[in-house]
Amino acid sequence: MKCKRCRRAEAAVDLPSHHAAFCTDCFFLFFRRQVTEGIRKLRLLAPEDRVLVCVSGGKDSLVLWDVLMDEGYETEGLYIDLGIDGYSDRSKEKVLAYATSRGKTPIVVDLAKEGIPIPEAARCVRMQECSICGTVKRYFFNRVAAEGKFTVVATGHNLDDETARLLGNLLHWQRDHLARQHPLLPGTDEGLVRKVKPLWRVSEVETAAYGFLKGIDYVTEECPMSEDATSLVYKEALSRIEDRMPGTRIVFYKGFLDPSNPLRKGPEAAAPADAVGTPRACAACGAPTYAETCSYCRMKERVRKARSLRAAPVSR
Amino acid sequence: MYNVGMITVRLPQKKMELELPGPRRVMDLLAEAGVRPTTVIVTQGRRLLTKDHRVEDGTTIDVISVVSGG
Repeated sequence: MKCKRCRRAEAAVDLPSHHAAFCTDCFFLFFRRQVTEGIRKLRLLAPEDRVLVCVSGGKDSLVLWDVLMDEGYETEGLYIDLGIDGYSDRSKEKVLAYATSRGKTPIVVDLAKEGIPIPEAARCVRMQECSICGTVKRYFFNRVAAEGKFTVVATGHNLDDETARLLGNLLHWQRDHLARQHPLLPGTDEGLVRKVKPLWRVSEVETAAYGFLKGIDYVTEECPMSEDATSLVYKEALSRIEDRMPGTRIVFYKGFLDPSNPLRKGPEAAAPADAVGTPRACAACGAPTYAETCSYCRMKERVRKARSLRAAPVSR
Repeated sequence: MYNVGMITVRLPQKKMELELPGPRRVMDLLAEAGVRPTTVIVTQGRRLLTKDHRVEDGTTIDVISVVSGG
């Protein structure tokens, strides 16, 4: 199969969803154009932005960091060590190795040192690991960005992630979540830093191919905590549809993002579902919150209490 | 010991390895292995293979899942 762009070199990547196949060089051009068009169309980033890129060691976040650096954005990487035996060490190694190869030193937050490693926290408060992980990560993304004077937080969510989330929100008619789902969540004066998902137009296959061809050594094993994640069920359903009808995912998501779609209120509807009034400072840590204390501090307090109950001697 | 007359298909994330007769196209090998093409990339050393690529006997290929959860 020949490259559909240059028509000379042998194709390295076939993309049925785009009715295309590209050689390595033309695929790099195609991929970067998909990302930069995604940024431009939704005005995710400005040239003067200081971007905090949240990197997990997986393909999407490392590819995102790579592309943003190549496009000339001022970036730093943030790695959150979740405290998952073995997996976290291997992920961190990949992040550090990649960062070193680009002359960078990532910011590292160690949740064990913060007193809230994910597996133990999940046991203490009897919640799903993914749910706790989401709350904790969002908290540190914002805190590190605010403290480091970053203007924007970027995550590696791709088209497959976003359409899986969209399908889940539609199946459960989560109207409040649908209203807020967008690759751009604007910042607020009260300290919420703008969040963007510049890979919203590219699929997982495309980011994996880009990472592989660029020689980015990413962690290929899946997080052991996410084996039962519902997002995987939605992803499988969508990939079955994509197999039969290539291009469905991007049509689905672009249609959703269309400003005329009544299900969406646009990026201005960024406040959480339980938001009442304007955000204020958390009484415990000062982070922006709509409650007395932020969800991270409430969770940390529950973990602390559960831990002290376990440690207390049993009276007879 | 690998059978030199077969194609070795490695699926590292599933910790599986299959030996299949060749020559065969990547998409046919994936179908035989029960893997959907939109969920993986297929590599041979440092080379990425397209789904219509013909794999010869004695070749080892890796099927890397690209699906991330959570």
